[in-house]
Amino acid sequence: MTPERWQKVEEVLQGALDLPSQERVSFLDAACGEDDELKREAGSLISAHDEAGNFIEQPAIAEDAHILLGRSVGREVGPYTILECLGSGGMGEVYLAQDRRLDRPVALKILPAYLAADDARLRRFQREARAASALNHPNILTIHEVGEHEDIRFIATEFIDGQTLGELIASGNLSVDEIVEIVSQVASALSAAHAAGIVHRDIKPENIMRRSDGLVKILDFGIAKLVEHETPSTFPNIKHDARVQTEVGVVMGTVNYMSPEQARAVEVDKRTDIWSLGVLLYEMLTNRLPFIGATRMDALVSILEREPAALFVDDSKPEIRSLQKIVDKTLRKNRNDRYQTAEDLLRELKLVTNPSSLGLSSRSSSSRLTIQHAKSRKGLMMMAFGALVLVLVGGAIVFKGWISHPQTNIAAAPTGTLTTKAYLQMSGAEQLAFISEQEQRVSTMMGDRPVKLNDEALRAIKTYVDRWVERDGQPGDLGDESLNVVYTRAQSHVPLITRSFAARKVPVIIGIYLPVIESAYRNCYENSIGAKGLFQFLPQTARQYGVAHEEMCDVEKMAPAAAHYIADRMAELGEDSQSVTLVLLSYNRGPESVRDDLRELRDTENYQRNFWTLFAHRDKLDEQFRKESAGYVPAFFAAAIIGENPKAFDLPMPPLSSLANL
Amino acid sequence: MATLSADNLTGLLIEWRAGDKTALDKLTPLVYDELRRIAHRYVRRERNGHTLGTTALVNEAYLRLAGTKNIAWNDRAHFFAATAQVMRHVLIDHARRRLYAKRGGQAQQVPIEDVSAMSEERADELVALDEALHDLAKLDPRKASVVELRYFGGLSLEETADVLDVSLMTVRRDWRAAKAWLYKAVNGE
Repeated sequence: MTPERWQKVEEVLQGALDLPSQERVSFLDAACGEDDELKREAGSLISAHDEAGNFIEQPAIAEDAHILLGRSVGREVGPYTILECLGSGGMGEVYLAQDRRLDRPVALKILPAYLAADDARLRRFQREARAASALNHPNILTIHEVGEHEDIRFIATEFIDGQTLGELIASGNLSVDEIVEIVSQVASALSAAHAAGIVHRDIKPENIMRRSDGLVKILDFGIAKLVEHETPSTFPNIKHDARVQTEVGVVMGTVNYMSPEQARAVEVDKRTDIWSLGVLLYEMLTNRLPFIGATRMDALVSILEREPAALFVDDSKPEIRSLQKIVDKTLRKNRNDRYQTAEDLLRELKLVTNPSSLGLSSRSSSSRLTIQHAKSRKGLMMMAFGALVLVLVGGAIVFKGWISHPQTNIAAAPTGTLTTKAYLQMSGAEQLAFISEQEQRVSTMMGDRPVKLNDEALRAIKTYVDRWVERDGQPGDLGDESLNVVYTRAQSHVPLITRSFAARKVPVIIGIYLPVIESAYRNCYENSIGAKGLFQFLPQTARQYGVAHEEMCDVEKMAPAAAHYIADRMAELGEDSQSVTLVLLSYNRGPESVRDDLRELRDTENYQRNFWTLFAHRDKLDEQFRKESAGYVPAFFAAAIIGENPKAFDLPMPPLSSLANL
Repeated sequence: MATLSADNLTGLLIEWRAGDKTALDKLTPLVYDELRRIAHRYVRRERNGHTLGTTALVNEAYLRLAGTKNIAWNDRAHFFAATAQVMRHVLIDHARRRLYAKRGGQAQQVPIEDVSAMSEERADELVALDEALHDLAKLDPRKASVVELRYFGGLSLEETADVLDVSLMTVRRDWRAAKAWLYKAVNGE
């Protein structure tokens, strides 16, 4: 059929459809005249129209929503049939399922393989989860079963048809009454759990649901325990979801609800839940988080060191003052200063008299309370500053990871007032001279002939050093904690790294600084692209070097593989540090990516076989390398200089090279 | 998820409308994420017995992606159109893989679990509809757009009229003719 013909057919069709059905036959006869073909076409379409009924009337999504949602619908796991995917996260996927034996809906959480594999841990979790469930508290989710089907470990729980607190917060419709009610119910559940010696450890909006009848339920008791003290890859809350997005475009995962003691990785008790609940209360009241940061580490620093902005600008109303007081007391850094029990908190919440008299539905735009700007501006500046530093130091390189090591306890490291601040006391010129001298020293250790650096290169290093140690005139504001963490944690891997790199004849110092740089601020985690963290590899590279995908965050496996990879690339591309730098940059891009760049670079006049050639000739590199190397090379040296001079930078550790006996 | 500025989104939408195929590629992951969200909410509310307009959800998705209050009508219309097209691609792709697997294609490439969620009948139906819609587009592009927006994009008649910038009456007539035409093409001789 041609478009013209169709136009004709349609004209007849529309004419007929405008008439009552009994008149259509005669209309058709009249309209088509001698054109039998037209009559047949239009006639069959009229019949089709009458028969079509509901055909395509329901949008496709009504029938196929589950296609978009996942692949597991209809699958049977033990006695449960999966109906729908409710969500997924670091702790596995959660499905709505039907219990075929009891013909009731359940929520089915399928544990990821890495958690399911550890029987001992699973039993611990099971014990705790059951204990919480056995409390039979109305605000605690009931667990039906922790089971196993073929290779799948699952947890079947009561199914809550409601919204998570995260969804409620996002919807922006919570009144202060409702907020106080929700927090009270959570506190009541915590009180019961704490009395039984159970700490939740992971109170956050995703773990709390409200049913349509207003009943609040805490989910996932025991889950946090399941994942803690895990290998680096499974540090809790590693899921970098974009859920929390602050006004400066900062994206954080769930680290925001961690207590200072969790941030320090020390033993936690029930007071950690009180803190997290305080964060939640703050967030619900203001629609913003009290502690944020551009990266995980920056947020942790914020938790450890910063005071949140006041809830509201106007605190003339007594109710606001009460809420402020409650929030303040839940968010005391020292847990001895917090509410000591959830009951204490509950009691004070009840005293917030008639919160509706505040006249605010917390997020209705007209009555929205603005955060006290004067007080928060510094916080924002610090945050922006922190973000910048971390983008430059951490982000300039591709690798990010924060070594989580159970033995290192950062709280044990001296913090607070540290006395040696040699670098800060120098003049600018002295600082540059210091950096120049130190750069030569580091270069020598790396087997590189020291070269006299130009001012641009020196200043580039200095920028990084300054940012790492910058404290904005306020001791402890930024930098020292994160450095402590990174170095202290890296330190424990030094013997392993030394062995691995020495065995491959790769300068050991590279082996040491590589993870220091790569691991700044983030724990190792795996995704389809590769391991992000200590010794980042592409999965195919890892495979090639005998590391299975699930082992990519295992330092024991990665350090030798990394040394092997670097040694191979050095044999192929050259042993000069110039090549090595590119090799390091190629880490997560595969060897192919460096070859052209290196060739290009070697055609450069004045090519010198050292790190700084890369920096000086970065315009010869491809776009990504250019960006990376502009930051990487100076950041690498800055980290080296800081690590080599712990006293000048208040690091509670010996120089890294001394650990490796360099 | 990547975040887009309003300008970026608008830019991509304009490029896409101007026929730049790579723009849709860039849009797809973003839109797809939103589609999943929509599907999720859809299923939830459906179960609760609420009916709900997909339009409202798509609107919300747009707001979230564009992150702006000043929405040019054009952008929104383009976004709706892009959403419908991505939905169509996703479903048809799925249906084809389903049929491919069933017809003994290289099983290795198509994990059965991946495709079993869609019934074979449904896959057949979708593929037939898609082919018929291609044919219809050659005869009468606007009618094909109406169907794409309504069926794959979930838009109401009114919204469809809005997006295509035609009268409601026109959309009604287009819809009934297209529906008859497609029904015949899919089920007919």
